[in-house]
Formats: sequence, C-alpha cells, structure tokens
Amino acid sequence: MASATILAFKAGRAFRREGTNFVDHSPEKGAIILQKGEDELLHFVWKNRSTNDAEEDLILFPGDASFVKIPQVTGGRSYVLKFSSSNQRHFFWMQDASTARDDEFVKNLNLVLEDPDRIPVWQAGGAGSSQGQASTSQAGSSSQSAAAPSGTTPEQLAQIRSLVQSMSGNTAQNEPELSLTDILTPETLLPLFRSHPDLVSSLFPHLPPDLPTPPSQETLQQIISSPQFRGAVRNLDQALRTGLLGGLVRGLGLPEEAGTGVEAFLRAIQEQAGRGDRMETD
Amino acid sequence: MSDEESGWHLTESDPGVFTELLKSLGVPYIVDDLYSLDPDSLAALQPIHALVFLFKWLPTSGSEPDPASGAHFDPDFPGFFAQQVVNNACATLAVMNALGNIPSLPCGQPLQELFSFTTGMDAQTRGMVITSSDWLREAHNALSPPSAISLDGLGLPKTSEDAYHFIVYMPAMGCVYEFDGLKSHPIRHGAYEEKGEGWIAKAREAVEARIATYPPGSLEFSLLALRDDPIPSLQSRLKELQEAGRGNDAEAAELIVRLSNENSKRERWAFENALRRHNHLGLIHALLVALAKAGSLEPARDAARRKMEERVARRKEVGMDLDEE
Repeated sequence: MASATILAFKAGRAFRREGTNFVDHSPEKGAIILQKGEDELLHFVWKNRSTNDAEEDLILFPGDASFVKIPQVTGGRSYVLKFSSSNQRHFFWMQDASTARDDEFVKNLNLVLEDPDRIPVWQAGGAGSSQGQASTSQAGSSSQSAAAPSGTTPEQLAQIRSLVQSMSGNTAQNEPELSLTDILTPETLLPLFRSHPDLVSSLFPHLPPDLPTPPSQETLQQIISSPQFRGAVRNLDQALRTGLLGGLVRGLGLPEEAGTGVEAFLRAIQEQAGRGDRMETD
Repeated sequence: MSDEESGWHLTESDPGVFTELLKSLGVPYIVDDLYSLDPDSLAALQPIHALVFLFKWLPTSGSEPDPASGAHFDPDFPGFFAQQVVNNACATLAVMNALGNIPSLPCGQPLQELFSFTTGMDAQTRGMVITSSDWLREAHNALSPPSAISLDGLGLPKTSEDAYHFIVYMPAMGCVYEFDGLKSHPIRHGAYEEKGEGWIAKAREAVEARIATYPPGSLEFSLLALRDDPIPSLQSRLKELQEAGRGNDAEAAELIVRLSNENSKRERWAFENALRRHNHLGLIHALLVALAKAGSLEPARDAARRKMEERVARRKEVGMDLDEE
C-alpha cells in the first residue's frame, strides 16, 4: 500500500495477564508506525522488526485514541493505547535504547491521534547520542563485568546498563558516528590505486583465489564496487558495533581493543600503519 | 526452528547462485533471469522446465487460490512438494520443489537418494528431511560468505533484505502447478494444451494474475526460468555447420554470437560466485592500512562522520532510526 509514514519509533507490545492487572512485556522487537493510508485514514500499525510483518493495523478516528503512560509499571516506559469509543486497550513499551526521546515521540503521537493533520515537531537531536557514543568507546576497552565502580551516578548506571545490553546484541546501539561503508567507497579507493600503483598488485593475494581470470587493476576496481564486497564491509561494520570482535581482529595483528567498535578499529589500524614502512605519498 | 539454529546461511537469489547450486547437485540445467513473459522471449529459452517467481517481501495476508480462475489446492498431489521449514533455506527449497517434479531428471547420486527417501512423505516431513540434509545444506551454504564473518548468532536485527519469497510454476501430470513452500499444499491451476506454447501459456496467466494483485510499483519481484543449459547444443550445432563447410553462414554467425553471450554470462557468474564465497576481511584490512599509510584515512573518516550526521538528520525528519542501512 502506498501510504505515508507520519512518525515511527521502536516499541514492543505487552499483554494483560489473564484475570490480573499485570501487563507482561512481549520481548519481540517492534515499531509503532503511524501512517496515512491510501484510504486517507489514519493507521496505527505495530510492525514486528524481526519478520517485518505488520501484525497490528488499527484504523483510528481523530480524537478517539490516546497513548498514555502507565505509571504503575516499573521502568516508566509502558504505555496503553486507549479509546473513548470502546473498551479496547493495547499495551506497548518503548524499545529505543535511550529514553531521551520517549516524551517527544509520545507527545507527537498524541498530537496526531488528536488531529491527523497536525505536523509533529522534532527537536534537533544529537546531544544525548554523542554522549552515549563516547562512553561506548571508553567502556568497551574495560571488562564486560557488571560491577560498577563505587560512586557511580544513576545516569552512569543507566548508560552502563544499555551498553551491556547492546554488547549482547539485545537492543540496537545508540546512533553510530560513522560507518566503514562510507570510507571504503570507490570515491576514496580509486584515487588511492591511481596514486599508488604498487599497492594494486600487493592486494592480489587478498582477492578470491578462484577468479575466472587472473586479477588486474580492473578486477580490483570491479571487486570494491561489487555488492558482495560492499556487503562484507557492511557486515564488518555491524559486527564491530557489537564490540565483540576482539578475538577476530587479533588475527589481523591488531590488539583486542580494536574489536570493540568502528572508531577503535580505525585507530588501531592507523597505529599499525604508522609502525610499518611509510609509503611514498605525492 | 530459527535461522540461527538451523545452520542454513542466507544466500542471494541470483541466477548465478542457483546455477552453481544445480551444478553441485549434478543437474545440467541453468537458471536465467526472465525480463519478459512474452511468447518470443520465452520461445528463445526453451526447453523451460519451471518458472520461478521471486519477490522481496513476505506476504502479510494469505493469498488463497482464486476459484474463479480455476485454481485450487490439491491435497492429493502425488508428486514432490516440500514445505518451507527454515526461512534461510527458501531458495534451495524452491529449487527442490522444481527438480522433484521433473520426470527423468539427470542428477547426481545424493539428490537421487534424497528424492527416493522422501517418496510418499507429507509436505511438512519432506521439508524437515530436506532441511536436515547435511550435504544439501553445505551445497547451499557454499555460496554465502564464510562463517568467520557471518552475523548469524550475534542477535542483530534482521533487515528487510532477508525476507524473500519464492513460488515455482511448472507442469506436472498434465496440469500447471504452483508450489509455494509457505502453503500447506500445491495449487493446481488446471490442464494445459500440448500444442503451441504448451504449459507456458497457462503458467503465464497464473503469474500475471498474481502480479496484478499487487499495486503497481509497490513490490520488487523477479522471474527466473529453470531451463536446459544451451551451451552444449549451441556448440554441437556450430560444429556441425563448420564440418559441413558452412562455418561462415548467417546461422553460424548467430550461433557464435549466442555462444559468446552465454560464455560471458558464465564468466560473470563465476566472478560473482568467487566473491560470494570469499572472506573479504583480509582485503578490507589491507585497504584500510593502505589508506592510513597514504595519509588518507583521517580525511576519509571525517567525511564519513559528516555523511552519517546528514543521514541521521534526514531520518529524524520522520522520527525513526531503525538501522535500516
């Protein structure tokens, strides 16, 4: 369906335990997506982020629904979608690793539920996330134990908690600052090949051994532009963000610390390059 | 069973990947992209054994066969039909459903044994047997990156790229059938006439009807044809002509062009498959070290940071950052 997304944020579902007032969080990763459908109606969709299926699709009439925090649930990130026209209740919980935008998402959601023609207002972001990133590269090099040094503030504890969660791959990390896929591009690499012709043949041993024709500079150019190579770079990028590649990078002659994130990986490579023979530059 | 537990890697669904799989099964067929369903295009590719319709999204609602078109489930289908048990195996499962219904299929011993072993089984059991077949899984996995850099098991969210769906259309027992591993039974579309295009005409109707159920431009899909490998017959016809002193004929010239096209295509497939099987970590590392030695890593890093900032800012306009890159 060609519908327009008005806003979206990560959220899971929760279900009332039969006969009680308890609501159990379902662990499935999901997103709440507010869309204006082709039918011109407002759709409140819950999408399962693992299967990509839209498992709930509610049509909402302006002013009928509201998204309200449930204060009794610990953690403070549980909400209920309720209706003035019926007793329907749908429960959700925020899944973004950071709470920084919870209020903003909910406020805008309610704005649009009230009047679908309202335009959501977003703060320029970044402050919260870059803080998170800095602590990622610092904490990554220390051990993964759960013990926090004494005197840790609640904010630091929350950061460490979300860091441990992201290291075990349960929730997505805070905003990454850069991606390897933006570094290993033809735009960056082709000039390098032109200015360092000896480099090209020195790379041949790293190419697949079963190419149908012997490698050449053109082969190398084709390879770095290929979806398979780009996919491998993307995979490495994602894997580095989990911080778990300490063992793998040792095989490249890098210290374990290099496997804890993209920035750490690049720093270690810069050092490794500095230790080796300097290549002639133009 | 989850994709992680199953040990089946996600593979690309490229004609080159399928053809390599067929080779490892000992089947002398190839799979080609189909850009058109018109009679002339298809006639050029005959003999075609099956059409594979492939689309990039899982259907969110069940699409039941439309009785008005004469299509209905065939729970008593005596041929080969296996249900999909593991998502990552979907490409190989589709190939199996096609190969399993080709009479007198030329193939290697292991595949022959697998087909004999699963005779008479119900669709779900067959699906499980196929999924548990170690040699088949290894043949399938041979065309994905080596595990050292695989992301299975790291618990990362799957991107939408992973959701493929395959449907096979082919003749069996005088009717055109539709094999969809996510359904409980094969769908029979009805009998076809042997003359003219044969089963292809009926299959075309079914495929076009399916395409028509989706709003235009909203889905990415492709069509593949499972067909005889044309190279042997092109080569032998060319040899005949040359031996009869007609090597400079128009027909010979055309054969040479077609052979040349086929060979380029195989070379491209071999190149892409070599890249698919390869662990690129060494190359990636060597490139980054070279950039660093040339003093170009820092500027590239700064440019990459700026690009990411722009990207994040654009995503925030819709209020979401779902790691969909």
